[in-house]
Amino acid sequence: MVGIGFRKDFAAALLESPFFHPAFIEVAPENWIGVGGYWKKLFRQALEQYPLFTHGLSLSVGSPDELDLVFLGKVKDFLRETNAQIYSEHLSYSKCDNAHLYDLLPIPFTQEAVKHVSRRIRQVQDFLERRIAIEIVSYYTPVAPEMTEIAFINAVLQEADCDLLLDVNNVYVNGFNHQYNAKAFIDQLPMERVRYIHMAGHEKVAEDLIIDTHGEAIIDPVYDLFAYTVQRLDRDVPVLLERDFNIPELEALQQEIDRLQAIKNLHLKNHQYATA
Amino acid sequence: MQPPEATTTTGYQSALAAYCRSGRYTAIPGVHKGHVTHYRRLVYNVVDDMLQSAYPLTYHLLTAKEWKQMVQDFFSSHACQSPQVWYMPRELHEYLVKTQHPLLEKYPFLSELLWLEWLEVELFMMEDKPAAFTAFGDIQADAFVLNPEHHLQHFHYPVHLKQAKQISAEDKGDYFLVLFRKPDNGEVAFMQLSPVLVTLLELLEERPQAMHPLVEQACATWQLPLNDAIREAAGAFFAQALENRLILGYDTKSHIL
Repeated sequence: MVGIGFRKDFAAALLESPFFHPAFIEVAPENWIGVGGYWKKLFRQALEQYPLFTHGLSLSVGSPDELDLVFLGKVKDFLRETNAQIYSEHLSYSKCDNAHLYDLLPIPFTQEAVKHVSRRIRQVQDFLERRIAIEIVSYYTPVAPEMTEIAFINAVLQEADCDLLLDVNNVYVNGFNHQYNAKAFIDQLPMERVRYIHMAGHEKVAEDLIIDTHGEAIIDPVYDLFAYTVQRLDRDVPVLLERDFNIPELEALQQEIDRLQAIKNLHLKNHQYATA
Repeated sequence: MQPPEATTTTGYQSALAAYCRSGRYTAIPGVHKGHVTHYRRLVYNVVDDMLQSAYPLTYHLLTAKEWKQMVQDFFSSHACQSPQVWYMPRELHEYLVKTQHPLLEKYPFLSELLWLEWLEVELFMMEDKPAAFTAFGDIQADAFVLNPEHHLQHFHYPVHLKQAKQISAEDKGDYFLVLFRKPDNGEVAFMQLSPVLVTLLELLEERPQAMHPLVEQACATWQLPLNDAIREAAGAFFAQALENRLILGYDTKSHIL
């Protein structure tokens, strides 16, 4: 199954379109918690038509600050009320020194951070009474690293005992930005933990830097890396197409969804798992 | 004076966050100085975009330099508390008032303009407030049910009536209005009110009531004679309020009775 991020930019069009048919939708709970009126009506309609996956932005599991349990309680209520199938968050921080920053900052790859983040992910899972999937984020500079990125991620997954949201585009972006082989990186991930996949476009802003914008179509090398990932997984994992800016016509988004589904079908065709 | 270089994981995180908020970079081990600037740019743009989206009239009023300085002051000095980014712009208004920002002196109506813009955002976005009512009733006899998704407001400048750039000290006065969310399409509308109409709506906020007792109470409050002209004006107001859904309809209990 291949889903789409439910953006307000095209929410109404999505619900009315006769040809746009994602398998599910994904939202960030913080964009919908406590929201009523026009948007709530639209969201309710969407929930009647599509299964919901969720992807948080503000929990800031990597933050030095205390977890915001009031907010986490609201997330828990939201997940229950919407019958959300997955809750995922980022392996990053977006709040520090008691101030929200509303974007994802890279956690230093240190042993201290592994212990801190792992403990917090376990705390979140206990509070929510469900496993969560943690996303490998794109990053544009390392920060005081004591270990490699892959060692950091695998240590967190191991100690936190959580699932992995594998953003294939992020792995591509990070491989480019930090000069490593993206396929070799994927080879080192515990594929049995991959619960969910994200795919997106990006923007190359300099000869040595790509920014993960979600504002462009997916490029061929990222499709290739996706195909490689699907082969390595050898099972059907839900995939999300993220598109947050420069939203094209829905036909273009459907073409991207179709291409992702075709890649899945091709590589899983002889497998026992049915593909949606 | 530059803060000391961080030496711990949390210290590195704090240093990066502080840079993103202030734009002032303190060396962090391992950081690519050319690339870290993108974090500052991305973080700042999220905040700036959200504030521009919430406060388009203020953005249009201020010079580009004033806007940029205001956003910079706000984001670097104020610790944003809301985990929901759409709610963060409310904190800009609170920050400017709390710090008595110099822009409030240059534009005496700015606080009210920001508050008007924020009210529109909040009313549009806020959680639904259910109310029991029936659309069928007698405007003369049945108790009205006020739309609970409303906000009564008293301004001292006509920020809801005039273009901000045309508001001057001579406009200072008392302006009353009610903002409300229309239940059919979720749009936010407002009605300008007289002080007597504010009293009528405040009485309706307490419980559903019929037109005549409402008008009697309001007139008594304002020591006005209850005459045909006032009854006629009240009737016209309630008819309009029913049409635009400031009043949702009639109380089911009083209608049955």
